[in-house]
Amino acid sequence: MLTPGERERYDRQIMIGGIGQKGQEKLKRSRVVIAGTGGLGSPISIYLTAAGIGMIRIIDHDQVALSNLNRQIIHWEEDIGKRKVDSARTKLKHLNSSVEIEAIAETITEDNVSRLMDGCEVIVDAMDNLPTRYILNRCAIEKNIPFFHGAVNGFEGRVMTIIPGETACLRCMYRGPVPQEKFPVIGVAPAVIGSIQATEVIKYLVGIGKLLTNRLLFYDGLRAAFSEFTVNKNPDCDHCGSRARKD
Amino acid sequence: MDVRIHIHTTHRPFTNGLEVVSAEGNTVGECLNHLVKQFPEMEKALFAKKDKLLNTVEIYVNHASAYPNELAKPIKDGDEIHLVVMLAGG
Repeated sequence: MLTPGERERYDRQIMIGGIGQKGQEKLKRSRVVIAGTGGLGSPISIYLTAAGIGMIRIIDHDQVALSNLNRQIIHWEEDIGKRKVDSARTKLKHLNSSVEIEAIAETITEDNVSRLMDGCEVIVDAMDNLPTRYILNRCAIEKNIPFFHGAVNGFEGRVMTIIPGETACLRCMYRGPVPQEKFPVIGVAPAVIGSIQATEVIKYLVGIGKLLTNRLLFYDGLRAAFSEFTVNKNPDCDHCGSRARKD
Repeated sequence: MDVRIHIHTTHRPFTNGLEVVSAEGNTVGECLNHLVKQFPEMEKALFAKKDKLLNTVEIYVNHASAYPNELAKPIKDGDEIHLVVMLAGG
């Protein structure tokens, strides 16, 4: 049930056909993990908090640095040196005090990922590297939790939604390891991509719209253009196909 | 035979800034070889070694993934190939 204050607070989105009071109650009951509180994690966590998700677990092992501030808009100058999850939790609680924010300052690894994702219905990928994305992807498939992928570079970005057991996963087009490099980025790129990821999460939780499943959405900020590409579930995928580990 | 190859932003310095290059060939591999003939610097941008794409390169034909065995995928007149580089930043 929504309180009178919640009905007032979320009035404009309750007005949207397909959301309504029932949809808002679904959001209130939802538990979401956001892996990373950097460039992507900033808009994702802000918009999901504003939308009234019941519980958001933010995970990041890092501290705020001056070089983060061109894009990680949830962190400010006064936060430099603080743990990112503490900086983010403070802002999110100021934005919406009724949302429960769990702040976990840990590095996501193969060993702890299952515990870190426990009890959540959605995993949002806001990482800055592919190896951890693949750890999350595999965990999401094994725990049957929808996984919302996003990545950026420069003025570009890409988004895909993965429903375990039904759609292509992040690993379905894997060809081998990719060197980890410092990547260029301007803040507006993760702003666009993170906002689309948050949109996908809200659509999924409420049960409306058409998800970005089996299709990759590419954004080219310099050309102000979106492109969409079809991707297929790979039957031989080592995460979601015949080569997946069985234990 | 005319196939349009869409060049990713990071590769355009190797194609004199061209976003789209015309190529010929009956497979993706043949079209990419023709692209490299026109713009030799594209070879190191796409291939780890002969007939082995870099792990970061994705290929789409007519807006659909060509994975796996991308280079062997048949191509016909009027097809469009998109060369995309995997992104990892966040």
